[in-house]
Formats: sequence, structure tokens, C-alpha cells
Amino acid sequence: MERWADYKALGGKLVRVRLREEQGQIRSIRITGDFFLVPEESLGKLEKMLEDAPLREEELRLLVNRFFRGTGAQGLGVSSDDFVKAILSAQEV
Amino acid sequence: MTETWRLIDLEYRDNPFMNMAVEEAIPRAVGEGKSPSTIRFWHNSNTIVLGCFQSAKLEVNMDACKETGTEIVRRFTGGGAVYHDSGNLNYGISLRKDHPLVPGQNLQSVFEKLSEGSVQGLRKLGVKAEFQPVNDIQIDGKKVSGAAGSIRWNTVFHHGCILVNSDLSILEKVLNVPKAKLEDRHVASVQKRVTTVRDELGRDVSTREVRDAIVDGIQSCYGVGVESGVLTKEELGLAEELYQTKYSRLEWNLEP
Repeated sequence: MERWADYKALGGKLVRVRLREEQGQIRSIRITGDFFLVPEESLGKLEKMLEDAPLREEELRLLVNRFFRGTGAQGLGVSSDDFVKAILSAQEV
Repeated sequence: MTETWRLIDLEYRDNPFMNMAVEEAIPRAVGEGKSPSTIRFWHNSNTIVLGCFQSAKLEVNMDACKETGTEIVRRFTGGGAVYHDSGNLNYGISLRKDHPLVPGQNLQSVFEKLSEGSVQGLRKLGVKAEFQPVNDIQIDGKKVSGAAGSIRWNTVFHHGCILVNSDLSILEKVLNVPKAKLEDRHVASVQKRVTTVRDELGRDVSTREVRDAIVDGIQSCYGVGVESGVLTKEELGLAEELYQTKYSRLEWNLEP
């Protein structure tokens, strides 16, 4: 099932999530928006890490935090918490 | 000794794809130590410039772009979509990562520091410009400029566009502004929360006048000199390559 979210981050930027869910797991996910993230190429790594992840807060938080720690990526206008909340707020379309 | 920045006035007004290729070639060359600290000014004819993380499908009204002859190009930096026309002045600053003006590797500090020259330039013209985090310059609460940037290729790169005398009415036609973006600003439209230098000064003003004021602002606030220069052969070659392999391509500009 397809799920979408347009989530306004606390830092003021928009995180737009489009994901495909099967049996409570993310099968594919695309994150777009007007935030900043350096290095820019790292967003693809985050999307990759989220594939097959369960749509549950605890696991998502762990993965997103692991992404930031592992890549040394820097977000601006968006935080790891915003990515998690954006994904969790995705509604069925 | 005072450092002298290279000042580049090179543009391809009707080729936004080449403009963006040059925009990437310069910081790459600066980071490699092959080119000096550089400020570039340029214009696009009507064009939407998307942030590198944005979805063209979600952000752009394709039909309106066709009707108005608006091109769509994606930049290599994050942030939001902006509409460019010839009344919009673009600038890009490339400094090596270890340049004394670079305030560490925090992108927010970089935006603030490297917006100072434009803020000061606009103030010299007589408007009350101020930097507004995350990446805007505002006049009395209305956005007149947005910036974006990156830290890569051993370079700190900062670019921004200044609405000098742009046609704001097209902006709302060609961009789909998500409701979530407007909600917390208590305004019903983009047009009401952005302004132009012309409207704030209450007189006609050219992008050249604003460019000259920013050059002054940069010199006074960073204590550097500025001297007109041209792209190196290597930068031009790289720009042409980036044009062919990246910026002229639909898959870069329109996907995802």
C-alpha cells in the first residue's frame, strides 16, 4: 500500500515522504523536500537503509540515528527526529 | 596582505543548464586550489531552479511552465525551489574549506556569514535587510533573497538569488506551493510573503545596481578586494562536461 506525508519540520523545512508498505514494512521509500543535508549524496543511503524496515518508531529512530552517526551527515532545517516523524505520519493514499 | 577575490560576470541567460554547470565547475576548481576565492553574478531568463532533494513532479506545475516558457533546472544544493527571471540577480561564492572567513563546517553558520555581504550591500541601497535563519534575507518580515550552499570538494560554496525587480505573478503559477509551507506563516500566498528590492525602495532599480552594491558590501564586510576575472580553460572545460553529462539531462532535472 502507498503512503504519503508532507511533514513540516521544526526547522521550517518540508519533508515529503512517499513510501510503499507491505505487512508493516517499508518496501521502498522516496524522501524529497526543501531541507539541506550534506553530503547531498547521503540521502540515497538513508533511503536504502530504510528499505525493509518495520514502520515502527523505535526501529526507525534507531536506523535514522545510525545513518547520521555512520555517515557524519549534517542536516539543516531538518533533524533525525523530523525524518522519523515524517515517515510515521505517512497516510494511506 | 588583503586577499583579492575573483569577480566573474559570466552568464548564459537563456541556457539555465549551462549556468548551473558553471556554478558547479567554479567551486570544484577552487577546492582543488586551481582557482582563487570567487564571487560570480549571473541571471537566468524564466526558469525554476529546484533544490537537489526536491521532486519536480510535486513542486512544479508543468503545464504552466509550458505556457509561460519556463525552464526547469535542478541545482546541486539543497533548499527550496525558486523562480528566476531577468529581474532576479544570482550570486555564488566559492571559498576553500580552510579559508579564514569560513566559520567552521556548520552549514547554518556558513549561510549567515556568507549572506553578510549581500545584507550589507542591500542596506547600502537603503533597505532594512537582515539575515533570517535558516537561509533567507528579509526586509520587514518579507523574503527578498534565499540562499543555499554546500560543503564539498574541499570548498565552502554559498549561492543565493535576490528578487530585484522580478515578476512575482508568474511565481505562483509555475510553482506548486504545498499547503504545509504556508500554514504557519499565516499568509495565503507566496506573493504576500516575498518582496522585491524595487518594491522596498519604491523606485526602479537594476540588477546591475544591486550587484555593484553587493560587491561593495563584500569588500567592506569581509575586508577583501575584488577584481574582475574570467573562468580558466579548465573551469570552462569542466562546465561543458557537466553540461553534457548532468545539467542538460532530463533525468538530473526532472527525476525523482
